[in-house]
Amino acid sequence: MGGNLTSFRKLIEQTTPFAYSVAFRMLGDDDQAKDVVQETMVTIWQKLKKIRSAGGYKTWIYRIVVNKCYDQLRKRKRNPEFSPDEKTWEIISNRISEEPSSELENSETAGIINILTQKLSPKQKAIFVLSELEQMSNDEISEITGMSKTGIKANLHYARQRISEMMEKYLS
Amino acid sequence: MMKMKDENYNRLINLLRESGVKLDSKEEIEAGVIKRISETRHSAFNIDNVVNFFFGWAYIGWVRRSLIAASVILILIFVYQQGVILRQINYLSRRTIVTEGPRSSFSSGAFKKELLIFKFTGMKLPSDNINISQKQLDQLLESVNELQDKYRDLINLIDSDPELKKYIEKKLNEKNRTKINL
Repeated sequence: MGGNLTSFRKLIEQTTPFAYSVAFRMLGDDDQAKDVVQETMVTIWQKLKKIRSAGGYKTWIYRIVVNKCYDQLRKRKRNPEFSPDEKTWEIISNRISEEPSSELENSETAGIINILTQKLSPKQKAIFVLSELEQMSNDEISEITGMSKTGIKANLHYARQRISEMMEKYLS
Repeated sequence: MMKMKDENYNRLINLLRESGVKLDSKEEIEAGVIKRISETRHSAFNIDNVVNFFFGWAYIGWVRRSLIAASVILILIFVYQQGVILRQINYLSRRTIVTEGPRSSFSSGAFKKELLIFKFTGMKLPSDNINISQKQLDQLLESVNELQDKYRDLINLIDSDPELKKYIEKKLNEKNRTKINL
């Protein structure tokens, strides 16, 4: 068991950064993202005995993270009224006009993603984050979310369109 | 305008990608995970342990494969049996089931037919082919007696008239029928 735990610590070390990245980008909240990562690791520990091969384990971890993020997003009350956060739009406007643009802080990233994806469903948000920000292929996203490639393309197109429309409206 | 819109979108996405997400408390997450795992391990009656104890065998490879094979065989047997039952039902539905009640009248067509068979089989009924009730038998005997009476009357009538007798014998010979000694 001791040996298992040492190996598991190594797995946590390797897995945590990308699991946290997805969770943070999807939830836009540091504490919730850390909670999701911890829950994911506990789930992995519980199911570790059932894994027979290492192949595809990264996709499996992504799937657990995304599902836990879905649960969190569903718990949140959906805000039907869109609130145009002028401060965040100002940050966006300044950042994209900067040459070269400096890196964003986590809080800025969270604010920007939250405002851009405010009108998207949890699934559309997941597809946007995995495809546009995590730069995954449609095959990988299909494996993680269980959606068809056509569905992924359609949702991504919708997400891009909504975000572009908002940017056009609030950045002018 | 469209180009500007796309350019802004791409710049923002690139900025978000390049900025990444900084994780400053990896150790905190690790410690939290280890703590949760320890808590789980110390709880004696964890529901997962109970489930694993009872159904853990289902995760053994060869057991799973055997169960799959057994279920496939059972499904095939079930489908085959259903087919057999359906065939039997179709066969039975095509069969005519005749339920015979007591005959309502002596002169019914079917009974006349049976009497005819009786007559042409030389008074020998094939007992394994024709089943008749007691009432039918009584009716049969009654009709035979009646027929014998009529036959005697007819013979007397023919005997009393030599011309008629000759005429009947002639007609019978003409038709090459078996000669009946009147």
